[in-house]
Order: sequence, then C-alpha cells, then structure tokens
Amino acid sequence: MLSALGNPRQAAAQLMNFGLILSTAFMMWKGLSVISDSPSPIVVVLSGSMEPAFQRGDLLLLWNRNLFTETSVGEVVVYNVKDKDIPIVHRVISKFGTGFVLLRRRPTAKLLTKGDNNDSDDTKLYAPGQNYLVREDIIGSVVGYMPFVGYVTIMLSEHPWMKTVMLGIMGLVVVLQRE
Amino acid sequence: MYSSLVRLQNTFGFFTTVAFAVALLISASDFLSVREPTVNVLKTTQLQVVKGRADYYSSKKEEYAIIKFTLDADLSSLFTWNTKQVFAYVTVEWPSAQSNNATNQAVIWDTIITAPSSDHLGNFSPSKLKRLRKSANGKGIDPSRGKLQIKNQRLKYPLTHPTGKLAQTEDMQLKLHYNVQPWVGFLSWNQNQDWGRWKALKNGLSKKFTLPAIKAKEQAKKKTTGGARA
Repeated sequence: MLSALGNPRQAAAQLMNFGLILSTAFMMWKGLSVISDSPSPIVVVLSGSMEPAFQRGDLLLLWNRNLFTETSVGEVVVYNVKDKDIPIVHRVISKFGTGFVLLRRRPTAKLLTKGDNNDSDDTKLYAPGQNYLVREDIIGSVVGYMPFVGYVTIMLSEHPWMKTVMLGIMGLVVVLQRE
Repeated sequence: MYSSLVRLQNTFGFFTTVAFAVALLISASDFLSVREPTVNVLKTTQLQVVKGRADYYSSKKEEYAIIKFTLDADLSSLFTWNTKQVFAYVTVEWPSAQSNNATNQAVIWDTIITAPSSDHLGNFSPSKLKRLRKSANGKGIDPSRGKLQIKNQRLKYPLTHPTGKLAQTEDMQLKLHYNVQPWVGFLSWNQNQDWGRWKALKNGLSKKFTLPAIKAKEQAKKKTTGGARA
C-alpha cells in the first residue's frame, strides 16, 4: 500500500498526474471563460425564483458577447449587484435607451429584471438607490441548460463535512493508485 | 490496475460520457421538429396615460400607461418532447425621442405555459394544478396549451419610463415573443427569419399607435386603485 511512498519516481509521477488533472480542469474553465467572455461561464442555480424553468441545482451555460444583437428584453441574464457576492439569474423585462457599444463607449441602456416566479421586479434586490441595471452588471445571458448536475456543488457548500470527506477520498485515491 | 476503485472510476466515467451524449442527442432533436408559430390577432383595445404612482412601492409620481390588448396566437408547434415550458410575453416597443439609435422595450404581459410533465415544478395554486392535470389527461405533451386567446387583457407590469414622461408617445408597437425552455439543451427565442425547420413568427407585431394625453385628475385617481396592482 505504501509502496508508492517508497518509490520516489512513482510518487513523483502520481503527483504530476494529479497536477495535470487539476490544470486541465482549470484550463478548460478559463478557456470557456475566454470564448464566452464571461468571468463565470457556467453557473449553478441557487434559488427558485425562475421556476419552473430553472430549479435549484441546475447548470446554466452563459454567453456574454454581443456579436449580432444587444442584450435585450426576454433574455435570461446573470447579474451581479454591488456589495453582494451571489450572482442572480433573472429575466430582463424592460430596456430603455441604447445598448450598442460604439468606439469604446459603454452601453447606457437601463435594464430592469424580474424572476419569472416572483410577483414584482428586482428593484428591491438592487443596491440602495439603484433602479436599473446596465450592461456592465451582467456577466452573461443563459444559452444552455442542463438539469441536476450542479446539485453536487450545492450539497458541498451546504454541508461542509462533505467537502472534507471528498478531499480525503481524493487524497487517498492519489496515494493508493498505481498505474 | 483492476482494483475496485479503478472499476468504480471507470463506471462513473462511462456513465457521465453516456449521459452527456444522450443529452446532446436530445437537444439536437429540437432542430428536427417543425416550428411554425402563428399570430392571428394582436391589437390594443384601450390606451390611457395617467399620472400617479405606478406601483405600490414607487416613491415618485410619474406618468404611466394603461394598455389593454387582445391576442390570438397559436404556439402549439413549440411543444415537443424536449419542451419544459414556453414563456410567452408581449412587449411594447418604441423609438427614443432623443437619438435615432436608442429604443425602448418593456414587457407588459407574460405567461408561463408549462408542459404537462413540468406542471408539478411550477408555483401554481392547487386548483390551477388540478385544472392543468385534468386538461392534460395523462399526456406528457399537450400542444393545445400553446393556443393563446386573450381578450382585453390588462397589463401585468406598470408601464413607465425613466424620464417619467409617456403621454403622446408615438410609434409604439406591441410585439409577441416567446422563449422555449428545454428539458436539456439550448434555449431558443422567436426568430425574425426562418431557420431550417423553425419558421419565423409572422404577424407578431401590432399596428403602430400613439398614446393619448394625460387624463384629468379625478379620473386618474379612480384608475390608480384599479390599475396599480395587476
């Protein structure tokens, strides 16, 4: 069992292998981030405010480039509010002004969002004094959908002991694995 | 090499590969189905502008519009085995007065049309859920839900503008949109052009209209109680 530790060459190879897995995952994430121009191209739904379209734990694929069209009404966007760390997934219900970027000028369109399952719009969720979003607040529009897959991350963040157990198992696998 | 751990890993790896492949096939099957949504009628039946608090929560008095409309549309072809829900919404659009590039667009009414298999996920009242279950009659796909027939519908969200002015706005137009939410795969919206088997939504625009001037004060007060919370 501990033969791997006795053989430095094998131990080093295993360490490399583990590092390779981690860096591949990181590269794929960052690559997706570059392609979609979004700091977080895949998000997990945390609340039920968009039910029945999205449930807790569903995985959303985001796209943050305006190649042909502006971000417009009806799109489901993920946005950040100042001083709040959790991004929100809601639908744009109104847009006033222009959202088209010309020569580095920032789009100034005022956007208002609402969760499909909520009764009223998001004005109360925004920062105090903020009545509208601008394009910059948005980190992507939802283009793809995959149910359930993200539930693992919700489990991990809500039950911290699972994280410990999982890290432990992964560590054991690395040590015990022989190839 | 053949430890139970490796076997477990391989099984899990194979499972995820198969699951993703199946998900990809299901989402690709969307493009094989024919979509030909049609709009028969979309017109405004009442136009009014009043000054007051558009919403229970709004702090300032501003001009807001009261619009009623009639809609007759058939979105039944959007319901396939991969359709979880169709989100249908009507917007009002008008060009901005200041610059020619800017537009204004606001949702005034929307509805969530669930597929029978996703009824239980919606936030419906027990009576509505019962009604939906009964209408589906055990079917998993019920395209007849895509037939929208709405008469003199009042707007769901107060229509205001950041400037606080709306009276006598010109070139306004209602437009029907939809968003198809799949069980797995890509979200899709109404198109302006045909795209393979997916046809464009024709007649989705109403005639252009102009909002009237502000109504007199007493009448406006009466209207606010009725129109504030739609």
